[in-house]
Parts: sequence; C-alpha cells; structure tokens
Amino acid sequence: MLTLLRMTVAVLLAVAAVASPALAQEVYRIGMSAAITGRAAAGYAPTYEAYRAYFKRVNDAGGINGRKVEIEYEDDRGEAQRAAAAGKKLAENSILIVNASISATYKPLMTEAETSKVPLLFGGGVCPREAFPPANPLIFCSTSFGSNWDIRFALGFIKQQAGGTKVKIGFAAQDIPLSRIELEGAEKLAKEMGFGTIPVVVVPGAAPDFGPFAQKFKDAGADWVFAWAPWPVEIGVFEALQRIGWTGSYLLYGHQQTQDELTRLKAPNLYAFGGNALFIENAPIHAEIAGVVKGQTTHPAHYMAEGWVSAMVLEAGLKKCGWPCTREKIAAAMATVSVDTRGLRGGPIEWTADNHYRKSTWYKVYRWDPAKSGIASVGGWTRLDVK
Amino acid sequence: MAQVVATTIVVASLYALLGAGYVLVYRASRVLNLAQGDMLTLGGYLLFAVTAAVGGAPALSIPLAAALAALAGFVIYRLLMRPMAGHPIFAAVLVTVTLGILLRAAIVLVFTDRIRHPLPMLGLSNPPRHLPGGAVVSTFDLLTVATAAALFLGLFLFLHLSPLGIQMRAAGEKALLASQRGIDFHLLFALSWALAAFSGGLAGILYANNVRLEPSLDVLGLKAFAVALVGGLDSLAGVIPAALLVAAVEVLTVRYGNPLLSDVSPFLCLLAMLLVRPWGLFGTREELERV
Repeated sequence: MLTLLRMTVAVLLAVAAVASPALAQEVYRIGMSAAITGRAAAGYAPTYEAYRAYFKRVNDAGGINGRKVEIEYEDDRGEAQRAAAAGKKLAENSILIVNASISATYKPLMTEAETSKVPLLFGGGVCPREAFPPANPLIFCSTSFGSNWDIRFALGFIKQQAGGTKVKIGFAAQDIPLSRIELEGAEKLAKEMGFGTIPVVVVPGAAPDFGPFAQKFKDAGADWVFAWAPWPVEIGVFEALQRIGWTGSYLLYGHQQTQDELTRLKAPNLYAFGGNALFIENAPIHAEIAGVVKGQTTHPAHYMAEGWVSAMVLEAGLKKCGWPCTREKIAAAMATVSVDTRGLRGGPIEWTADNHYRKSTWYKVYRWDPAKSGIASVGGWTRLDVK
Repeated sequence: MAQVVATTIVVASLYALLGAGYVLVYRASRVLNLAQGDMLTLGGYLLFAVTAAVGGAPALSIPLAAALAALAGFVIYRLLMRPMAGHPIFAAVLVTVTLGILLRAAIVLVFTDRIRHPLPMLGLSNPPRHLPGGAVVSTFDLLTVATAAALFLGLFLFLHLSPLGIQMRAAGEKALLASQRGIDFHLLFALSWALAAFSGGLAGILYANNVRLEPSLDVLGLKAFAVALVGGLDSLAGVIPAALLVAAVEVLTVRYGNPLLSDVSPFLCLLAMLLVRPWGLFGTREELERV
C-alpha cells in the first residue's frame, strides 16, 4: 500500500513537473504582419518596433491579467503574397492579428480573417472602410489616418487658411489604390466646397524626378497642393515644387517622418496635418516613450506614436478579454474599448459594436515657424465626429 | 517647352550615369550587371556614412564616397565575379542578382530603412536655378548634368587615349586576339567593375543630395537598364541618345499624357526598340547573336 502511495505521489509530482511549464506557457498569442523590410518599411517598421518595446515592458511588468503577451512577427515586406502566407501562418495560433503594412496586404489578410474568424487590427496602415460604421465585426483600426475623414479636415483647413479668397487646389496621389481613390474624392468634395481644382496627379512611387509632376501643378496655377500618400511621394512632390520656384502652400498628411522633415526643410509654406501629436509637444507620455524605447529601436522615439497607440488599444482589449481569451471574446472586447491616448492623440479611441474606427477623430496641423525657428502647431486640435 | 527640355536633360543625365555602368561591365566581360541600381544606392549610403564620419566637409566627403564606390566595384569583382570565370555567363548574371539582394539587406541592417538626406549634413543647399527660356532646375540637377557630361568625356578620353583604355576596348571587341597579345583580362574586368560602380555611385551621391536616400533606390537601375539596352549594350556612345530618348518619353508622358504611364515608359521604349532594332541604337548585330 505504501509502495502504491509512493508511486502515486511520484506520478503526480511528475505530472505536476510537466504541467507547470505548460501552464506557464499559456499566453496571449498575437500575430503581426508588418512591412518590417522592403520598399514600404520606412512607414511601418517603426510600428513593429513600438510593439516590441511596448509589450516587452508589459511582459516585464507581469503581463496582462497575469499572462504574458507573445507576439509572432511576420515580415510581409508590403507584398500581398507574403501577407497571404503570413496571414495563414498567424491564424493558426493567434487570437488576433495586427496589420502594419501597406494597403496591398489588406485583401489577403482580411480574407484570412474572415476564413479563420480571427479579429484583425490595423495598427499602422490606413484604416480600411470595413472599420467605419457599419463596421465588420472582425475589423478594427487604431491608425491615425483614415480615408474619407482626412480629406474633410484637410479641405476645411485650406478653406480656413484661404480666408474667403477663392483658391485653386491640386491633388498629389501615389499610384496605389487608396491614395488615388481618396484624392479623387477630395477633388470632388473640393468642387462642392467651391474651390478651383486641378485634376488629381498620380505620381509613381519610383519616379526618378518629381519635377515633371510638380511642373503640372505650377503650370495649372495651383495656390495649394494637397498630398495624401506615402511619405516619399508627399515630400518628394513638395521638394520638386520648391526646386522649380513654386510659392504656393502645401498640405500633406504628417506621417512618422514629419518632425524630422519639417525641421530639415524649414519651409513655412509646408503644412503637415495628422492625428498624432508631434513629440515637440513634450507631453509626459512622450518622455515615457522615449525612456522605454531607448536602446531598443532603430528609429527615434518620435516615430513610435502610431504603434504605441495601437499597442495601447490592444492592451486594453486584452485586459477586457480576461482569461482565457478566445477570438470571439477578444473581438467582443475590442468592440467596446475606450482608450485614453494620454496626449498622443487629441482624444480617446472609443469603439462601439458598429464603429471600429473611433467615435471622434482629431486633427492638428504643424508647420515650420521662422519667427520661432522651430515647429509650431497651427491652431489646436480639431474634432470630427464619425457617424 | 524649355522646362520639358531641361527636365529631360536632367533625367537623362541620371540614366546615363547608371547606364554607363551596365555598358562598361558588359563590354568588358559580357556580364549583365543587374546590381547596377544597387551601386546607386551604395554610392548614396557611402556618402552618408563618410559625411557622418568626417562631419560634413563636402570637398572631402563627396570625392571620398565616389572613390569608395569604385573600390567597392573592384572588391565585388575580386570576391564574387572573378571566381565565376569559366562558368556560364548566366551564372555570373545570377551572382549579380544575388549581390543586389545582399547589398539591399546589408544597407537596411547598417543604416535602417529610414529616409536620409545627406545634403544638410554636408552643410550644402540646393537652391533653384533659373535657365534661359524660363526653365527652373535645382543646383544638383545642374551638377548631375555636368557630372554626366564630365564622366562621358573622361571615359571617351580614357578609352581612346590611355593604354589601359585601349586595352579595354580591344578586349571588348576582339577578346581572343586581345588575350593572345597578353592583355591582363582580370585587371580590365576589375577596372570595368570599378568604373561601373563609380558611375553608379556618382548617380547615387547626386540623387541622395537632390531627392532622397533610401534602401529601395535600386528601382532606378531598372529604368537605366532599359536605357542601356535601347542604346545598345556594347555601345557607350549609345547610352547618351538612349538616355535622352527614354527620359524625353518619360517626361512627355507625365506632361502631356497619363502620368501613371511614366513608370513603364522606359520599358515601352525598350519594347519598341526590341521590335525594330533588337541590337539597340548603336549596338552591333554580332552582340545580339552572342547574347
């Protein structure tokens, strides 16, 4: 009997020894498909780096609900085929997939999300229409820029700056679907708002010289040019306009490079609008990010805002999801998150069952102020309600 | 119209600098160097690295970066291409493809994928320059044109007047005869690689100052490849009219046609040339048969 008892205890101890690591390995498994390298990497690799730094800190502090967050990263290089393969791989184990890549990767990942019923969070690339009301239950977007709303703000800003003078606007798009569609919409809206318009100029990303494209705007008599595209095209067209002596005003979406580039160019006629506060604001959260990422990222801290906000949203979703957290539970939890962005944005990110973009979106404009010899905001935050 | 002409000459100069590299390597060794676009990227990053190291000083940084680009070409030949001697040409071409991939990866590893602008680091500016007829170009646009003109003049003098240049031409035109005369082929091949990397590097240095520097600039090399083929792969002189032709079509497409087509216009030129005169504007039929 004693022998049997000893054997039973030994077996139980052995089982416990095997089971303990298994329990310890029970983590929140997240997948991320990002353009970590490749032609689009400049815009998306910082988001990947922000995620790594953010969740390292979360895990070092004990994780979420007592569980670590394990993120499997796949480099899709901004290519659809790679994104499709990454989606399939990540869908095997992940309760949620994050996308931080260009729009070419959206279709395969969204197809995979539908097939595997895995929620998909866009955390660096432009928000797709499926996140807007009425939202797809599996699609979420924390990115600061999104189609439809950005152009409304941009054109309103130009109107305000024009101060009643009738101005002629040109539109610089890149040869990618979302940029073109958005600016074709902007051209239409501009006409409705009473602006003079120049047809959208679509610029190939690999153009050796943006001069010929810039010349079209100059020759057409553009007072303003509005660009909504990946950064190299946005800034490339502006610099080409500068080179040919154009003196109008230029408004572009302020991606992560904005702070560096406004400082480099020192051009008072260059306006950058966006949803993220620049780090020149010196909010406590900016110092906090700088402290966390120090030595961990190849990009400076002021490139981290986009990824940081996305990581904050994911953390909030996981907290709400509790443990165990399934795909269904995280999708339901994400649909009700409300995240205080602590100054990284103009307001909170609040999602509802019907709206996975945000209830309100906020914009701020920056430009180089020669008088201050520094970057300055042009007015405060502007709120647009998303319905 | 003056602006169209000015822009065409600027774009053509960039293509000519790159296209010369394809022709130099091909003439000497019959290898298509598909990493020539990466030589442009490398040149730009060498400038960035040198500038960061010496703290500006353009008079030192720019020549040093160009010299390092030439040295890189020499080293590439010595380490990668020379061992390919005796192997089929297509194997050597595949090595250049691999080289391009490796260079891009190495650049991302060392310099990251951030867009860089060496110009402010050099303490230089790039103001607009007004030309006769109302055209406006940047200072570095003018420098690109001047550099391309100087490079081609220098290459012409070198190939026609210097003993080494004459040997290069001889080796390119009659390889067997040249070898029987005791010409050191490996030296000539190494020199052609160094010159190709030098011209590509110059293109990169100028482009990085004029526009931007990022790891994916190699795509410009593809357009220049079309230029080299349109001009004739074995004809250095063919590069100049081909570059002007391709650039003119590209600029006119943006100006008067659909800007979206500008990206493919070099390849439309190439396609048209292949249909009408497959050996290029100044290439030889014999070369086509060899290819």
